[in-house]
Amino acid sequence: MSKLTINIDGKEVQAKSGDTILETALAAGKYIPHLCYCPGLKPEALCRLCLVEMADGELITSCRVPVVRGMVIKTKSPAIDRAVRPTVELLIKYHHERCAGCPASGHCELQTVMSHLKIDRKRVRRLRPPPAKRPIDVMNRCFDYDPNRCILCGICIRTCEAIHGESLLYYIGRGHETKVAFYGDEKKCETCLKCVERCPVGTLLAKNLIEAK
Amino acid sequence: MPEKLRTILVCQGTGCISGGAGQLQEALSAELTLQKLNAVAEIKHTGCHGFCQRGPLVVIEPEGIFYTKVTQNDVPDILHSLRPGAPLVERLLYYDTVINQPIKSFHDVPFYYKQQRLVLRNCGVINPENIDDYLDAGGYKALRKALAMKPEEIIKEVKDSGLRGLGGAGFPTGRKWEAASQSPGNVKYIICNGDEGDPGAFQDRSVLEGDPHSVIEGMIIAGYAIGAHHGYAYVRNEYPFAVHRLGVAIEQARQRGYLGKNILGSKFNFDVEIFQGAGAFVCGESTALVLSIEGKRGMPRSLPRPRTTEVGLWGKPTVLNNVKTYANIPLIINNGAAWFASRGTEKSKGTAIFSLTGKVVNSGLIEVVMGTRLREIIFDIGGGIPGGRAFKAVQTGGPSGGCLPAEMLNMPVDFDSLTSAGSMMGSGGMVVMDQDTCMVDIARYFLDFTQRESCGQCIPCRIGTKQMFDILDSIIKGRGKPGDIDLLLELGHSIKESSLCALGQSAPNPVLSTIRYFRDEYEAHIFEGHCPAGVCTHCL
Repeated sequence: MSKLTINIDGKEVQAKSGDTILETALAAGKYIPHLCYCPGLKPEALCRLCLVEMADGELITSCRVPVVRGMVIKTKSPAIDRAVRPTVELLIKYHHERCAGCPASGHCELQTVMSHLKIDRKRVRRLRPPPAKRPIDVMNRCFDYDPNRCILCGICIRTCEAIHGESLLYYIGRGHETKVAFYGDEKKCETCLKCVERCPVGTLLAKNLIEAK
Repeated sequence: MPEKLRTILVCQGTGCISGGAGQLQEALSAELTLQKLNAVAEIKHTGCHGFCQRGPLVVIEPEGIFYTKVTQNDVPDILHSLRPGAPLVERLLYYDTVINQPIKSFHDVPFYYKQQRLVLRNCGVINPENIDDYLDAGGYKALRKALAMKPEEIIKEVKDSGLRGLGGAGFPTGRKWEAASQSPGNVKYIICNGDEGDPGAFQDRSVLEGDPHSVIEGMIIAGYAIGAHHGYAYVRNEYPFAVHRLGVAIEQARQRGYLGKNILGSKFNFDVEIFQGAGAFVCGESTALVLSIEGKRGMPRSLPRPRTTEVGLWGKPTVLNNVKTYANIPLIINNGAAWFASRGTEKSKGTAIFSLTGKVVNSGLIEVVMGTRLREIIFDIGGGIPGGRAFKAVQTGGPSGGCLPAEMLNMPVDFDSLTSAGSMMGSGGMVVMDQDTCMVDIARYFLDFTQRESCGQCIPCRIGTKQMFDILDSIIKGRGKPGDIDLLLELGHSIKESSLCALGQSAPNPVLSTIRYFRDEYEAHIFEGHCPAGVCTHCL
């Protein structure tokens, strides 16, 4: 892999050709908000939070764009903020759970995004309330799924696909009722629990296996 | 024996069928035999004749005698009028309120003569289930001509014509074909997008129902131009007549050697298969449509990605065009690029087809030259607003479009003008609204549609459209808050900028355009608890 340099927020950063802007920025210690990016998985640009501004003012999802020599990008700008901040605020409003007691608290990607953007609770409060809480789905003997915490990043689905060839988990429903569920035969699940491990927000919850048996 | 044989055309478009045109045609056939008039006239069923407002429609050729709102009770009188010297059935003729006279022929009805029906030339004229009718109208001549041309000559012709995709995005068709033809590989695909899902739109359905062969002919020519041998016609499951007639047309085209192997002795093979969509609005988006044909959940893929012309269906180069775009191709090949390019505006060539609906006197399927002013469409062709009420707005482009006020009526209808006004051409929906329409309620209606049809994968569209809907819903229920307008603008901007596909990127348009042009109505709801149009029952 050849090396090249790109400019992030006025600073020259070393990059490997073939890497994406997001990967390069993260490797250089420059955080860009993201929820659906997971190292090793194909980026799908679903969360729309990793928007960066190109030299011509265009906003692009940095997780899907490979670096090009001499690229100049901004990770913070009024235009990015106008596009991304309302999305995060909406996500928090629709995220029913409080952080206290959440198994993901402390290593939660949503918490990271919130603190990076310094989300103002007052701005979140002006939004209309989300639909009623939904019950937790019992997925199989190994894990459960909490639709109220789910951000639909698709990491569980892509993980299952990457490891087992075809994903047993998939999206069901439309609009804000979309959730993740077993699509087809859940008995085929090999319970590798990689999906649970990679869930960035504590939506997939491993059961106490000893108790389950 | 009478000197002339008459043809009684009975419109069997979906609108007329719902008005009883099926039974009407049966009654006409039975009565024709009963009155022993079989030698005088024949009955032919056609696709949509266009003037849906006045359906069921019956046209008697060759004079073009135009009977509207025909019922089974009118059958004996209509057939009696065919006898030599018998008068026309005056009560069924179109009555023009301007000249205060009934009009005999549809050619003289303003609704028709102010249009330029090029793509719709056969709709309502030929029997869509009889290939000979299409051939008599000059059908498959363009295919014959195209097969004698080199593929690159066809692409040049389409490029020179200036035809832009009529599905909504307006991408130049010739450039799309060129890109697909230059993509490497022996296996390529042609897809026809007939997944029309906009509320109030029926133009793609009508073309498929009325003139399916023109779409097939366009697809074959496209296949020959890019080197594809297989085509899919993606048609909504909710369009049973379109699926049926297209299926009949494909079968007949196969029997006559226009589809299949060695088409017209040219050694070129091409076949078309119908794929019925499962009823998701988002499947009209190209990448979602392709996934849907592959048997997967229809979810658009994010940019940047290879274009469908490079990596499309089953990973192969694919040309995906709208129904109307393909229907234009035989015209361009037959008449030449210059003929086509002489119509329309500098950047939008040819014609536009609209489903004109809503609070307008003449609802129906219309075709006008690009650049025709909104006023001409709504008032000259559409006959204005019923009941002497005032025009308030017109919505173009379906749920992705915007509402344009009276000040915009002089605007020419083309891709770029509509976009710059905050609306869009879209696929061809056009809904007229009068003074009794509440613009907040309309915005709420469209957002309700998009928030339900969002595929759910990207956050701004999934939650943002739901939130916008909830805000609009509370405003019309008298629970709006100061700051809601700014919040809607803020959310709308964010959703437009950050959504993954065109559905999300255009979803806020109905809200943003109504705030832009009708902000006072929002303010009246929020600050005075008053609905100026008197629609919202909680705000009276």
